[in-house]
Amino acid sequence: MMVNDKSIVWILKIYLLIIFVFIFMPIITSVVFSFNSDRFPSLPLGHFTWNWYDKVYYDSETWDAIRTSIIVALSASVLATIIGFCTAYTDFRYSFRFKNAYLALALLPPTIPLIILALAMLAWFSKLGISGQIWALIIAHTVLGAPFAMAIIRLRLQQMDKDLESAAWNLGASEWATMRHVIIPFALPSIISALCLTMAVSFDEFAIAWFVSGLNKSVPVVILEILQGNVDPQINAIGSFVFATTMTLVVIAQLFLFTKKPNNH
Amino acid sequence: MNEGQIVLENVTKNFGGSVAVEPINFEIKAGEFLAIMGSSGCGKTTTLRMLAGLETPSSGEIRLNGERMNELKAHERETPLVWQTLALFPFLNVIENVEFGLKMRGVEKPERTERALKWLKRMEIEQFANRSIDQLSGGQRQRVALARALVTEPPVLLLDEPLSALDANLVVRMQSVLTRLQKELGITFVYVTHSQSEAFAMADRVVIMSAGVIEQIGSPREIYRSPASRFVAEFVGTNNIISGNIKEIKGNTMICNTAFGTIESKQEDRNTRHQKGNDVELVISADMIELSQEHTFSENEIQLQFVAEEFTGSVVTLYFEDANKNELIVQKQQREIEPLELTYGCQIFAHWNPINVFCLPDVKTE
Repeated sequence: MMVNDKSIVWILKIYLLIIFVFIFMPIITSVVFSFNSDRFPSLPLGHFTWNWYDKVYYDSETWDAIRTSIIVALSASVLATIIGFCTAYTDFRYSFRFKNAYLALALLPPTIPLIILALAMLAWFSKLGISGQIWALIIAHTVLGAPFAMAIIRLRLQQMDKDLESAAWNLGASEWATMRHVIIPFALPSIISALCLTMAVSFDEFAIAWFVSGLNKSVPVVILEILQGNVDPQINAIGSFVFATTMTLVVIAQLFLFTKKPNNH
Repeated sequence: MNEGQIVLENVTKNFGGSVAVEPINFEIKAGEFLAIMGSSGCGKTTTLRMLAGLETPSSGEIRLNGERMNELKAHERETPLVWQTLALFPFLNVIENVEFGLKMRGVEKPERTERALKWLKRMEIEQFANRSIDQLSGGQRQRVALARALVTEPPVLLLDEPLSALDANLVVRMQSVLTRLQKELGITFVYVTHSQSEAFAMADRVVIMSAGVIEQIGSPREIYRSPASRFVAEFVGTNNIISGNIKEIKGNTMICNTAFGTIESKQEDRNTRHQKGNDVELVISADMIELSQEHTFSENEIQLQFVAEEFTGSVVTLYFEDANKNELIVQKQQREIEPLELTYGCQIFAHWNPINVFCLPDVKTE
């Protein structure tokens, strides 16, 4: 029996390893080739170089895209987190008719195919006359990120003892003071987590950005444009940078999400 | 106008269609330790939450020091509550929890810290001031919750089953902490509990509620010795409730026919309300029954058979039956029954003084 158990454990471990290799191999390859001197990705490798990073560094179009991506990611994540928090708090605090419909509506955007969402956004933004402006992209990414923010904050609020809020009122805190001194401090880890995750969502997002960004191209849009022109290891350099940024954000989000007890000191 | 500190006048509470509290009326005197007792769903917690402003009465009026407080919001009242779950803020440390009420009242930081520390000292937990809540034991958290509620020096403290999560030995210790605190501060405590031992051990007066109605208000002794209704008689203590029919009334003595034969009851005021021929229910507290191996020729004596016992420490609950299988419960100290050498099935004589036989007021009249 013991032998069997052990072999099962090993098989599962190997299986897991294969999955991870499968998922991460392309990314690792991309990172490796971003430091490779050869023009085309092929084996054996050439020598180590910062050349492609240098090229990206001195490319103003890439910098514009990074700037756009950062502005959009920051604004959209803040907006999405505010909207997500309000939705989650409404769910926590109140019960009303059609609440399920309200929640379903709030969680809807990620279930719509991105191309459809992107087309609809494009049509709507050109009606409003803001198509191609940076605002359009911020609004679109807010819509996309808000459900994630809501889900994360809602999870945290569900862990809250309902008496905490009443206890604050009972000790003389008005509803606004309770929000400031009890609800937000309690939800803070999930708020930070939501900020990071929605930032990552926005930073990575391509389909909608491609449709609505116009001249304010974000990083993924620029990557595609370079790729359409020719095969250039610059892509690997930008890709590695995007991957590092996104992973950092996601890891921070995870850390805050799974810290059970907020630290006091 | 000489009314109590807190007055509830025809207060009711409905949730949707269901009635949580029927019209209730009672007063709480300043400096009194009042317990509201009942089983879950009896309306005791709803009543307490109405005092705290966490629920609004559906009708009626609640007055504090003569002033109507129905419309006063929870945060505008000086009626802090100690919660069953304690509801300490997990993201604040001990002293920040205690300071919370002062902070909300705009007290400056140095004064806040000083006053909070004073209360931590008083509750003997000042060494934990900078600990986080989850580093404390149950008893220590209890003390933090008390300090947090009392730091604003309120005239009234509300307590909602605060000891229900503690170990039995800790409960007894916290009871003495609470009673001493209440005597020293001289403020009103309103204490909601389902536990008879907690209510009787601490309270000056006890309100017994059932299904949104007040069954009885009185001192623990009054309630224990003369329950006002069948519900109270069954709820508190261990009582024998015996149905009977009044055979004769002579002054304050009443003789009833019951399944156990004739039982005599002597009461100053209560028996005069009844009439010959009425059906009544007689209450004999299990600890008021004497046992002996021989005939004593007392007024109320019956012969019984010993059927079962329940041993819970120094007190023993004994179950007896007469020839017709009517059950009688007797509670005795272990050392009192040892000389009787009881064995299952043995015959014994039980008797009791007529002044310990109560007649329930809710008479079934034909």
